[in-house]
Amino acid sequence: MSHFFRAEQLVMRFGGLTAVNDFSISMEPGELVGLIGPNGAGKTTVFNMITGAISATSGRVVWLGEEITQFPLHVIASRGIARTFQNIRLFTDLTALDNVMVSFHHKLRANFWDAMFGLPAYRREERRIKEESLELLQEMGLAHMAMEKAGALPYGKQRRLEIARALATKPRLLLLDEPAAGMNPQETLELVGLVRELRDKYALTILLIEHDMKFVMRLCERIKVLDYGYTIAEGTPAEIQNNPEVIKAYLGSQTHA
Amino acid sequence: MPGASLFGGWRLMERTRRNALLNLLALLALAYALYLFDRYGTDYQVRILNNMAIFITLAVSYNLINGVCGILHLGPNAFVAIGAYTSALLTMSPMEKQMNYIIEPLMWPFSVLNAPFLVALIAGGLLAAFFAFLISFPVFRVRGDYLAIVTLGFGEVVRVICNAFQSVTNGPLGLKGLALHSNLWWTWGVAVVTITAVSKLVQSSYGRAMKAIREDEIAARAMGIDPFKHLLMAFLISAFFSGVAGGLLAHLIRTISPTLFTFFLTFNLLIMIVVGGLGSTTGAVIGAALFAWGGEALRIVEQPVQVAGLKIPGIPGMRMVVFSLILMVVIIFARHGIMGRHEFSWDWLFHKVRFGAARD
Repeated sequence: MSHFFRAEQLVMRFGGLTAVNDFSISMEPGELVGLIGPNGAGKTTVFNMITGAISATSGRVVWLGEEITQFPLHVIASRGIARTFQNIRLFTDLTALDNVMVSFHHKLRANFWDAMFGLPAYRREERRIKEESLELLQEMGLAHMAMEKAGALPYGKQRRLEIARALATKPRLLLLDEPAAGMNPQETLELVGLVRELRDKYALTILLIEHDMKFVMRLCERIKVLDYGYTIAEGTPAEIQNNPEVIKAYLGSQTHA
Repeated sequence: MPGASLFGGWRLMERTRRNALLNLLALLALAYALYLFDRYGTDYQVRILNNMAIFITLAVSYNLINGVCGILHLGPNAFVAIGAYTSALLTMSPMEKQMNYIIEPLMWPFSVLNAPFLVALIAGGLLAAFFAFLISFPVFRVRGDYLAIVTLGFGEVVRVICNAFQSVTNGPLGLKGLALHSNLWWTWGVAVVTITAVSKLVQSSYGRAMKAIREDEIAARAMGIDPFKHLLMAFLISAFFSGVAGGLLAHLIRTISPTLFTFFLTFNLLIMIVVGGLGSTTGAVIGAALFAWGGEALRIVEQPVQVAGLKIPGIPGMRMVVFSLILMVVIIFARHGIMGRHEFSWDWLFHKVRFGAARD
């Protein structure tokens, strides 16, 4: 049992529908874990429960030795769990730079009056935030688009901007919801390298949802498979690839085919 | 390519100094213009300018909630009413109060309270902000249309209280014979302070967080931003300045009654900020100025005209028709208002001038 991060027996019921049943996971610092499963298996619901976007029907989430199950979304984010969204949710009318700078706000030391009167301490902090944001954009290959509105960026860049924005909150656990969706094979390949690099550089622990099997198999050390809300398999990429349950979930069983 | 020039070291410093100087010059120019109007302007012109400044204060503070935070708040009339009544009760002398409250006497302690104009204005602002604080808990539990209805309700509640609470507000009779404290210096002074404060806020990290909430609240929360805290902040600041503007308004027209603070006031403010450009402080200023000046300038369409020996009599109310037409044209051709979400800045102006010169 990890003291770093674990979710225990999470259940999410929407009315009569059980979207996620008895989901448990334990992660050690620095791990890269994949969460896969057919559409509607409940993967994003798991993310929503962990981050506090929805509150779980039952079960608990423990983060750094503290139970955070019923904490609101923004509190969990400020404690170091950041996420990206499957359906990109950028601040479309703000510039790419502002999108990233927003994420520093929850750590702002200057108070409201410092900001209103433009005191030196605030101005220094603002300058530092801007520099760090630009560095993050640079790292994600977006520096030349810093002043563009986020909504005007091409799709692949928007996905990268979402990662930059999540990183700017200074997370220790990063949840990526289909980071490679809509990317071409070349971009996907680059993303594998990028995610690894980011994990090493920022000492991240990453849990990611992805449909692109090549991407998941190449990147993740451990994989969990969900189907209809149930965890049907767990193991290394090689184990998952040969697991009959998984094959059945994705392709249907022999008898039905 | 903005990157290099935008973040360059000494050029940035120099530009900051230049902009500060230009701001100062603009303020001096405004002060000089006000001085000229104060001395040589007709009562009519001065009145329009006073109205304009009050509308600017109201529109800029209203835009902070509706435009910057993206919250459809429909109750600013409540803040204006609270500010107006509070400051009026503080500046009226006990004698005036006795003369006003003929049906029911003014209750203690309001009957003895008295304060100078500046204190009265600030008290009006603070009380409006306090009211905003109280209603923020139910208001920010909901969003969108629901929030609009809740705030509309609170606006109406305050108006009804003004009507019914005779021993404080003198009911439908209203308050008459307030001292004429508001002048160009007061109204424009407050307008400048409001614009400065709101722009500072919007450009700060706090303002960025508010815009993030407007764009996508879930995403903003996932980045660690507490929506309630920031919406409350905007709400209090907006209410404070609306309350102060209410005090200015009361001591300009010198007679206040509940009919002044109906939903119609909110509606007018909404028109100003939508026409100016939701989310733009510059737009709010332009919208309010146009509203104050345009309403008067259009009086010419109500005058009788002589066309080729044919005398057409003036039609009263015609200017409202023309005004509505202009509004429709603006919204059809500039769907995001005159300014959209852009702001005026000296950098922008210089960029335009240089760009224009290079083309010639």
